[in-house]
Amino acid sequence: MSIKEQLESVRDDFLTDLESFPVNDKDIESLKSKYLGRKGLVASLFSLMGKAEPIDRPLLGQKLNSLKDEIYTLFTEKEKRSLKNDPSFQNPNLDFSLPGHVSSSGGIHILEQTLSEVKDIFKSIGFHIAYGPEVDDAYHNFTALNVPEHHPARDMQDTFFINPEVVLRSHTSNVQIHLMESLEPPLKYIVPGRVYRNEAISYKSYCLFHQVEGIYINEKVSFAELKGCLEYFIKQMFGPNKKMRFRPSYFPFTEPSAEVDLWDDEREQWMEILGCGMVDPKVISNVGYDPERWKGYAFGMGIERIAMLKYKINDIRLFYNSDIRFLDQF
Amino acid sequence: MKISLEWLKKFISIDDSIVEIAEILSIIGLEAEVSSIPTQLPGVIVAYVEKTSKHPNAEKLQICTINDGTKSHQVICGAPNIKSGQKIAFATVGSILPDNFKIKKANIRGIDSFGMVCSEKELNITDEHEGIMILPKGLNTGDDFMTAYGYKFISVELDITPNRSDAFSYLGVARDLACYKKIPLKIIKEKKLKSSGSEKISIVVEDIIDCPRYVVGIVNNIKIDKSPDWMIERLKASGLRSINNVVDISNYVLLETGQPSHIFDFNNIKRKGIEVRRANKKETLKTLDGNEHLLKPENLLITDGKVPIALAGIMGGLGTSVNPKTTSVLVECAFFNAVTIRKSSKVLGLSTDASKRFERGTDPNACIPVFWRIIELLNELANGDLISTIMEEYPKKIIQPTILIRKKEISSTLGVNISKNEIEDIFKGLEIKFKNIEDGWSCIPPSFRPDLTREIDLIEEIARIFGYDTIPIDNSINGSFRYSNPDPENNYDLIRTYFSGLGFYQIYSNSLQSEIESNKAGYNPVKMLNPLNQDMGFLRTELLTGLINAAKFNIKHNAGNFRLFELANVHFQEGSKLEDIKENKHLAGIIFGNRIEESVHGASMMEDIFSIKGILNFIFEKKFNGKLEFSKNSYSLFDQTYSIQINRQEVGFLGHISREQTKGLKVNLESLYGFEINLEPIKKMLNGKKKFKKINLFPEIQRDLNLVLPTNLQTGKIVKLIMKIGKKIIKSVIPVNIFSDSNILGDNMKSITFSIIFQHPSKTLEDTDVNPIINEIIHVAEKDFLAKLRV
Repeated sequence: MSIKEQLESVRDDFLTDLESFPVNDKDIESLKSKYLGRKGLVASLFSLMGKAEPIDRPLLGQKLNSLKDEIYTLFTEKEKRSLKNDPSFQNPNLDFSLPGHVSSSGGIHILEQTLSEVKDIFKSIGFHIAYGPEVDDAYHNFTALNVPEHHPARDMQDTFFINPEVVLRSHTSNVQIHLMESLEPPLKYIVPGRVYRNEAISYKSYCLFHQVEGIYINEKVSFAELKGCLEYFIKQMFGPNKKMRFRPSYFPFTEPSAEVDLWDDEREQWMEILGCGMVDPKVISNVGYDPERWKGYAFGMGIERIAMLKYKINDIRLFYNSDIRFLDQF
Repeated sequence: MKISLEWLKKFISIDDSIVEIAEILSIIGLEAEVSSIPTQLPGVIVAYVEKTSKHPNAEKLQICTINDGTKSHQVICGAPNIKSGQKIAFATVGSILPDNFKIKKANIRGIDSFGMVCSEKELNITDEHEGIMILPKGLNTGDDFMTAYGYKFISVELDITPNRSDAFSYLGVARDLACYKKIPLKIIKEKKLKSSGSEKISIVVEDIIDCPRYVVGIVNNIKIDKSPDWMIERLKASGLRSINNVVDISNYVLLETGQPSHIFDFNNIKRKGIEVRRANKKETLKTLDGNEHLLKPENLLITDGKVPIALAGIMGGLGTSVNPKTTSVLVECAFFNAVTIRKSSKVLGLSTDASKRFERGTDPNACIPVFWRIIELLNELANGDLISTIMEEYPKKIIQPTILIRKKEISSTLGVNISKNEIEDIFKGLEIKFKNIEDGWSCIPPSFRPDLTREIDLIEEIARIFGYDTIPIDNSINGSFRYSNPDPENNYDLIRTYFSGLGFYQIYSNSLQSEIESNKAGYNPVKMLNPLNQDMGFLRTELLTGLINAAKFNIKHNAGNFRLFELANVHFQEGSKLEDIKENKHLAGIIFGNRIEESVHGASMMEDIFSIKGILNFIFEKKFNGKLEFSKNSYSLFDQTYSIQINRQEVGFLGHISREQTKGLKVNLESLYGFEINLEPIKKMLNGKKKFKKINLFPEIQRDLNLVLPTNLQTGKIVKLIMKIGKKIIKSVIPVNIFSDSNILGDNMKSITFSIIFQHPSKTLEDTDVNPIINEIIHVAEKDFLAKLRV
């Protein structure tokens, strides 16, 4: 066979192969090297050049080069098209109206999410977080907090007793005392935790709930700073336009004491959201600090109440009855 | 406490609406809510009952003709007390009563009714709903009810904080309002009536700490009668029912001044001498509510020298109570010790309007003026003549404290400078006596404010009246750095996130359980002295019981598949002291149903014990780099139990939830599995710092090894063997296929294919590295475990 004939035969073979262009990358690659590789058919044609008459060489060379270009162009085009239109991914009968594979995660409890949000807000203005015991002595739950034993203030919180000296804490304020007993001032902490109240269970009260206590002790602390701190918290939590007010109240461990109300647009009334005040000098001296030197503010809020206001949850029991139809909404 | 606007106006001149007054009271610390009759009730008018006749089809109903001054209306009424000639509050058709109760034309048992005759409850005045409200005869028929009469019952409900005994009265509330609004307070002028006799009785006070001041007097010629309308109306507007003129006077003055008093029927006091003392053992007293009390030493008594006639400061005795036949009374105005009265009230579980005021602290100086106020009213309204002198036992005068208050302490505490004039106006308004001293004031608080004893108490009073909302907001962030973890429990956030990602819902369940529930796990639960009820008398010792209850709840509500977890504290008790009560952080979970639901795309896969194992492997090995081991064990809440060890410490259990725990559920519970872990022993690991491991870039070699092994051999042993032999270069061993077929493998044998991945940390592995290891594995497996290579 003359070189010319061989050349035609390679072109014919290539065109035939091109008809049944392979579908996977490995076969495509071997088809490419069969013709265009270092040891491919086109290269072997070039190696025959030496056998040709010198006078024919330039023309032959031209023809070989144009064959090489032709094969390369056809191959590249075909390859491009084959990558684009893989028939195995072109199922015209696919029923895409079928449901997707079920994908889901569980969920973190809305009280936990609300608490995280509260923590983040206070962390952003320099509060650390501390925790303390749910079962405590009456001293830390009451006496050190300036709630004398025979005072109507004890009726403000119906308390569960383990024995006359040990209680299920009725607020997280017990941890104020633990913190101040173990740390030197200044200090700035929030304390989340579970607290217990001996109250009849209804849509608005449960035998336990979750509080976040805050305490800030320093050499110069004012009621105006307390207002600033809590206004920051409320506006971060409920939006910058939330209407709020500070209203005088009474807690044995703070003086002056205040309650913060939020305006409920739907009900058109004020809703209590938290209690706060300047740490009572008696509490400061109870933990061994000098009340002439150290001042402070403290506050306490119920996570349930915040979540109920924020998400318009109308029954506190929903938080604790583990109903998935409730849990999966958050 | 309920305060009516009409009565309040006797003490201050104000034009504010009830809503505005409630707002002012709230912002000065007397939390108020308007919950009474609305200010306006259009369409409700004064009318009179022309005639009544029996309803032909209903025994208890009457057909009434109601005249509104211009025309008559036929109204069906069921009130037993309706009679012709009565003036009544008539809600015409179209009017709207409280609670959005719209009055419409109705047909009641075949007869048309146009409008309604109102009860006090329907008008939101009292809870009285048995009969209709009967109005005074003098009202003009056809007048608007609210303008003519109803306004007297417009009131606010106050929630008085325990420190403010003084605000438990009209006078006290008016004083705060007057101070805030800078208007004068109209005080009641004291009238001392002359005594027409010189009767005397002895007063003996056993302990002047219990009863520092005791004042009595005797009034004769009493005529028991109905109280005048204005008094009945004011009491009603304040939430009290009228009894008779004498009892009403005591209640009226209590509301007016905040000072409780007691009026005895003097003729029924056998011995004419008063002794104030504690109760003796086995003494009893029947109080005027008809209850017989076995008295305790905590109870302070008023006796006639021998027999108890009243529980001091709480309630009088029935035997000496004022009754329709009373003609002579003994009027008592005393100052009792707050703690004594509180203990006495607590020990009997008996709380009254009087005891609530005494236990907060009353005014020792109110005894005398209030005594005269009662004498005056007894004279005016019950024909009474004072026939004794005022008799008093007050051996030790109570002196008010002197409080120094520094101007700079006010501004540094509140963060605002308040002018001298403003502060002094507040002192004046609150009747705090003051004297200027250098840099501040020397103050004497009034005796009706026992809560004011320190500088900070006065600062609070200034802030309260100045207005919390007037104090500016300080936006600066102050404090100092503290070099410790800002949240020592932040690693629990990670655990919660992982569990949520694995399809678990976090639950918060009740920590309070029944005795049976709290004893399930075999720990000694903490017991409450005063539980809410028997189902909640103990603190939980583990979390699984709560999760099982949650599972039952959801299964009953048709949940087919779920994963739940809880991360919370549990408690148990090793002794009776506080130190013996242990609080541990636990993590527990429960799974049920299908892990993958059946669908058009494929078959379902049920949760099983390997779901739990895989979850724990992922969290504690993959995520926290712990070493996790399991061993067969038993636990009361599980049927098939494995104990869990993390880093060689026993931390908990996993298994199938015992059928005993889920008795009664009518579903297949095959897939109900759970676990519980005490996180205390592994806290260090959970808080450990994560460290980056260099990614191995050398290629992996994968080999399958198929061994035939005795059926009873645990796969884990071979996995361990393979890892041990190829320790340095085997990255993982996973059993990928297990089957048994006695025809092929012989009896009691199984075939397991292990997929082994080799990778060297510092070079590319060749067959020559891997082959000897495979050979050794086969050799040892044959020798130690009777294994055969399957080819």
